[in-house]
Amino acid sequence: MRFLGKAAGGLYLLLLYLFVAGPLLFVIATSFNPATSFPAPFEGLTLSWYAAILRRPEFLSAAGTSAVVAALAAALAVVVAFLAAYALSRNGSSSARGAMATLLASPLLVPQVVISLAILQLASAWGVGTGFWGLVAAHAVYVMPFALRLLLTGLARFDFAVEEASRSLGGGWLSTWREVTLPLLRPSIVAGFTFCFILSFVNLPLSLFLTSPDTATLPIVMFAYIESRIDPMIAAVASVIVLAAGTATILLDRFLHVRLVD
Amino acid sequence: MPELILSHVTRRFSGHTAVDDFSLTVRDGEFVCLLGPSGCGKTTTLRIIAGFERADAGRLTLDGADITHAPPQQRDIGLVFQSYALFPHKTVAENIGFGLKMRGRPRAAIAAAVEEALALVRLEGLGGRYPRALSGGQQQRVALARALAIRPRLLLMDEPLSNLDAQLREEMRNEIRRIQKSLGITAVLVTHDQAEALAMADRIAVMAKGRLQQMADPATIYEAPATAFVSGFIGQANVLEGRVESTGAEAVLALPGGVTLAGRGDGLAAGAATRAMVKHERMALCRAEPAQLANRFPCQVAERTYLGGSIAYRCEAAGMTLTALLPNHPLFESFAPGDTAWIGWAATDCAFFPC
Ligand SMILES: Nc1ncnc2c1ncn2[C@@H]1O[C@H](COP(=O)(O)OP(=O)(O)OP(=O)(O)O)[C@@H](O)[C@H]1O
Ligand SMILES: [Mg+2]
Repeated sequence: MRFLGKAAGGLYLLLLYLFVAGPLLFVIATSFNPATSFPAPFEGLTLSWYAAILRRPEFLSAAGTSAVVAALAAALAVVVAFLAAYALSRNGSSSARGAMATLLASPLLVPQVVISLAILQLASAWGVGTGFWGLVAAHAVYVMPFALRLLLTGLARFDFAVEEASRSLGGGWLSTWREVTLPLLRPSIVAGFTFCFILSFVNLPLSLFLTSPDTATLPIVMFAYIESRIDPMIAAVASVIVLAAGTATILLDRFLHVRLVD
Repeated sequence: MPELILSHVTRRFSGHTAVDDFSLTVRDGEFVCLLGPSGCGKTTTLRIIAGFERADAGRLTLDGADITHAPPQQRDIGLVFQSYALFPHKTVAENIGFGLKMRGRPRAAIAAAVEEALALVRLEGLGGRYPRALSGGQQQRVALARALAIRPRLLLMDEPLSNLDAQLREEMRNEIRRIQKSLGITAVLVTHDQAEALAMADRIAVMAKGRLQQMADPATIYEAPATAFVSGFIGQANVLEGRVESTGAEAVLALPGGVTLAGRGDGLAAGAATRAMVKHERMALCRAEPAQLANRFPCQVAERTYLGGSIAYRCEAAGMTLTALLPNHPLFESFAPGDTAWIGWAATDCAFFPC
């Protein structure tokens, strides 16, 4: 009976993993398939779809735009989230901390297309263009709660007495930050930044109303591309993104012992 | 000379006064223990001295200079935290050298000072370890060494021994006193452990509800408590309530059952409700009537509690329930529950406090 129970549990887990990772594996496999349509039976192995990406300048420039937007949005989100998390952890009671964290996480509860639309409306009501910074703002608002969660977790393990120890030993605000606070919270900060960067980089709905041809992000260009035709090149683009994000996640786990997924 | 003076320091938290008109002088080279029950404002007082908490009213001077508004990093006060608050990402040597690094001392001078501090706390050779690789007692020593390495004008310690086991605690008591004396440093130690305060302090400041109750050497605190609170908090006492019958060098207190007690007290008024307090070990319990004791009553032993070094007897006498603590020694008589005996105490050991 015990054995059967264990076997059933194992099978359940295996199916779950397959369900989650299956589409991913399919996409990666497709990117090596020479067939020109998608999906199609496997006809062999080729790297030509990866080479094809390099011949499409709009993909490369969109990747550049996405990277810049993601970096700025992640930086903005981490700064805002850090200040909020620090203040909450230091001063708040645990119930206040919970309530504020929920409030700050509220962008998660709004459909992302609506955030995008709301920023567009707000900008036009104020009579300013949304432009590049509207895009960055939308991404920052959306990813901030993720950074907040990671930083609150990191700060829960932080003993604020070490800051006082530093100050009693003659450390000013800046030295205390540089010598004590930052080194101890760096793993959470780096993890928060990386996580936000990835989330922003792959996000489509936030950008829907906020991009122009000059500020098209990679998901927007991919979306436009598959509207006209579907071939495995899009799978190759996706595989590159998965590879980069996966590598970043593994590096974080290995070197900073921070897990993005528990 | 490093002398710390707190005058009329007050700190309120949303309506509740944590430190109330608190005045205290710590003399140069003196070791003062701040003793009081949990929540009486000891930590708050220490944090005001260190500069982490502001005083709503009052003044602090150190070495004759007003430090009431000086930021912590400019006070030159060494602080040992209850949790030690060692920097987990720095080695023991880096922890100890941190204060000197902040002061911009050259590397070689820091290294020499670190070695010296390690020797002072007897942790030679452990400079390269990280705090997590040390035992609680060793972490405690590092915290002390780190606070002392800056040659502070004043050393503050907040319940530094409370995370150590009983044996280590005794050892560290002696260590801290040895180090404090050898450096001649002025020190304030916060504790709620009266044995610790009595054993370590030059003078004890007893605190209750944010107020200073009494500041005196340990023997005076123990034997001549200034308030009913101090008398009840230090050691264990029998408490009896009645009304003053007559005042004078030897006052008389009448208890509800008609019994009268001889004792001493200040500020007594005839007829006023008053409390008599006698320490358990100042009670005599014997078979023969102790004629030399002003207060003596025939009694019956109700309960005997064996405590190892001493034996506690709970006795019923003339409507009073009294506890006597006798040394566990052949020179003292031994009793069993149900025995009749005499219980008594001297007027000088019977302190009267107005209620
Ligand atoms: N930051 C604060 N905000 C509100 N109240 C506070 C704050 N710090 C302390 N208090 C209150 O002030 C009182 C004194 O606290 P303090 O920490 O000084 O006590 P303590 O004597 O050190 O007690 P313990 O022996 O338990 O450490 C307590 O009632 C506490 O709840
Ligand atoms: Mg305390």
